[in-house]
Amino acid sequence: MDEPRSVRFLGLLRALLRHGVDFFVVGGVAAQLEGAPILTFDLDVLYDKNPENLARLLAALRELKARYRDPAGRHIEPDAEKLATLRLHLLLTELGALDVLGSIGNGLTYHDLVGRTILYQLGESQVHVLELAAVIETKEQANRDKDRAALPVLRQTLAMKARLKPDAKS
Amino acid sequence: MAQPPPKAPELPPEASWPEESPDGVDLTLIQWTLSLTPLERLELLQDWVDGLAELRNGRASER
Repeated sequence: MDEPRSVRFLGLLRALLRHGVDFFVVGGVAAQLEGAPILTFDLDVLYDKNPENLARLLAALRELKARYRDPAGRHIEPDAEKLATLRLHLLLTELGALDVLGSIGNGLTYHDLVGRTILYQLGESQVHVLELAAVIETKEQANRDKDRAALPVLRQTLAMKARLKPDAKS
Repeated sequence: MAQPPPKAPELPPEASWPEESPDGVDLTLIQWTLSLTPLERLELLQDWVDGLAELRNGRASER
């Protein structure tokens, strides 16, 4: 597989949607969709771990020619067992870097957070996205350097969104 | 006892927002992204990523 020049966000989302995967967008892309100017080079998604969904996710990942981003350069592909048991899947696909996550923050799963998502219309695609307040909470819980660095922008964005007029774009 | 997370400082009404918050966040950039639709925000992010990739690849080809 040729190395992708850069991640194709919409292409990755469309591939997951095409296979009917139950997921929502988290992390930096969720923050950006919620209006926070955050630069990120991968797409993070949180997925439902039920067996039927794992099969759909695996089909999507195979179509995308996904493999783990392995520092040693080994070619390791995701499979149903890994998707069912491991928490983090940091993948490289033919459309760029895709992080497929079983949980985020303090172990929060798809079912813990799906009630805090917003449905966005992105062109012809409808995508569920974690709301900004929840993105902030999960980054506070993760508490890594890169999460802490992003928090001032995320908090200011949330404060400004709260003060915008009701007719403002979401 | 754990400290509560710091909150974003209070902001004045939208019309008189400062350009920068006391902790150095560019509020004009946030205002701009909030003025976009979600699709436009994603396209903006894509443009940033593509632009940086072009710069990186250009620099690599100059070596």
